[in-house]
Amino acid sequence: MTASSSLPTLPGAWAQALWRRAQSWWHLLHFGAVAVVLMLSPSSYDTSRRSRTAHYIHATTWQVLPWFTVLTALLSLVLIRIVVVTAVSYGLSQYALEMVVRVLVLELIPLSAALFVTLRAGLAFNAGAAPTSLSEPPRPAPGASLQRLREGLLAQVTGNVFSVLALAVISSVVALVLAYLLVYGVSPWGLPGYARTVGRVFEPIVAFGFALKTVLFALAVAVVPAAASLEPRTQGAAASTVQPGAVRLFLVLLLIEAASLTLRYF
Amino acid sequence: MDAMNSPPEPAASNASAKPIAHVEFKAMLLLALMLVLIFSFALYVMVARGVFESTQRLVLIADDSEGIVVGMDLTFAGFPIGRVRRTELADDGKVRILVDIPSKDLRWLRASSVFTMERGVVGETRIRAYTGILSDPPLPPNSERTVLRGDATAEFPQLVAAARDLLANLGNMTAADSNLNASLGNVRTTTERLNGRYGVLGGVLGSDDNARKIITMLERTNSLLTKADERVFGKRGVMDETQVAIAQLNAILSDTRASLQKVDAILAEAQVVSSNARVASTDLGALRKEVDTSLRRITQLVDEINRKWPFARDTEIKLP
Repeated sequence: MTASSSLPTLPGAWAQALWRRAQSWWHLLHFGAVAVVLMLSPSSYDTSRRSRTAHYIHATTWQVLPWFTVLTALLSLVLIRIVVVTAVSYGLSQYALEMVVRVLVLELIPLSAALFVTLRAGLAFNAGAAPTSLSEPPRPAPGASLQRLREGLLAQVTGNVFSVLALAVISSVVALVLAYLLVYGVSPWGLPGYARTVGRVFEPIVAFGFALKTVLFALAVAVVPAAASLEPRTQGAAASTVQPGAVRLFLVLLLIEAASLTLRYF
Repeated sequence: MDAMNSPPEPAASNASAKPIAHVEFKAMLLLALMLVLIFSFALYVMVARGVFESTQRLVLIADDSEGIVVGMDLTFAGFPIGRVRRTELADDGKVRILVDIPSKDLRWLRASSVFTMERGVVGETRIRAYTGILSDPPLPPNSERTVLRGDATAEFPQLVAAARDLLANLGNMTAADSNLNASLGNVRTTTERLNGRYGVLGGVLGSDDNARKIITMLERTNSLLTKADERVFGKRGVMDETQVAIAQLNAILSDTRASLQKVDAILAEAQVVSSNARVASTDLGALRKEVDTSLRRITQLVDEINRKWPFARDTEIKLP
């Protein structure tokens, strides 16, 4: 077999790869849309499915919430201390609190919650779902049976979305409390100034962007690995050491973060 | 289709293998906690941004809105008392900064309040309010006030010009032929004289020669004073003779006092004489009255005779 007969021509190969990529992204978007609709549909939460969803919420949030909160509190403590001490040493203490709130609450904590849930649940999900070898038959496309999607994946997707949101919200509140305690100490007299600073940071657009970014992080973490695990794999595709969906998930998170920063600061 | 029938769910399969107590309650608890936190935080942010405060509008007029950000504070004595809600460009090209003042902080602003916009080299622009007289009438709603600008960077050209003049003056002052240098030279000369043989005297008088003359003069004065002391206070000196003269003068004064006493007696006698004379002059007055009366009678008698005399034609009466 000659090389020209065994391999497709270069433009053709590029076109095929491009087509597969487009199909893959479309599959992701379609799956995400269906998952969101199902999550928001009350009929998805009958007794058995509600129990299943509760199990996933327990597994993805309840079990990890204490030590994730402790971990983020520790990291927040270190960061707040560094920022405050540095700002005071440069005579810019009036900006320290605002910087802490912007850096920690608006940027780092939602991203760390998303990455944490990705590592714990998303990739574990992929590890369980991924075929062990290419000899396994390709998986079918999603949407073939809405009922099966509802039965199989919805609870897990809902659990992951909820986990990212809960971890981000609770850790943000803890970081805000820690920031107040580190700057003002255990004293109520700093509350008006602190509230004013928080209010200045959370302008309506910034607050909306923060909420939207966190929700998009949660959806990405829940949907991308699930969509990748159900995506039909092309026969003869090169085996990858990376779990399916991992690269795409990080790309999506990067895009969301970049878009958020761009819209907020430019 | 197999994947859909048996979805990959390691966590759930593990979870379903071991029954979890109150799993639905825990899930609902988490959901409720998250909702409470989200709504509480949203409420807190709204309160922090003053959404529920009753406010009064204040319009500040400025030339330039650079550095003015929606949401920034208006401060009074370092305390935030208002927020910038909007900035707009008026038809006359002026910038209108709309500030909301909470009702509880309105008491710090009066009709005579002054507003400044300060833009430092480092840091953000600040809008400050100054109220000198807190008993003035309160600020009316929708008041418009012009903002006084305090731009540090605008002062740079003047500052550089002033610094250049200052440096030029400093250069002139520190030049080799400058007055300051000459003064310092004089100071050095003076201090050298102060450290010289005659010390402060040499420094004050300008040279050692003058100081030496002064010292010589002092020595002569000292010897002169010694001689004068001998002449004045010595034996048979001026003071002894003066004492004798004073004794003689004392005797003369005693004689004079005795003479004056005699004069005093004479004067007393003269006073008696003068009083007698006064009595005598009183008797003379009575005598004159009697003479006048006699003369008047004689005159009347003569008139009577003339009137009775037959040849007399002149009937004129002449008074004395």
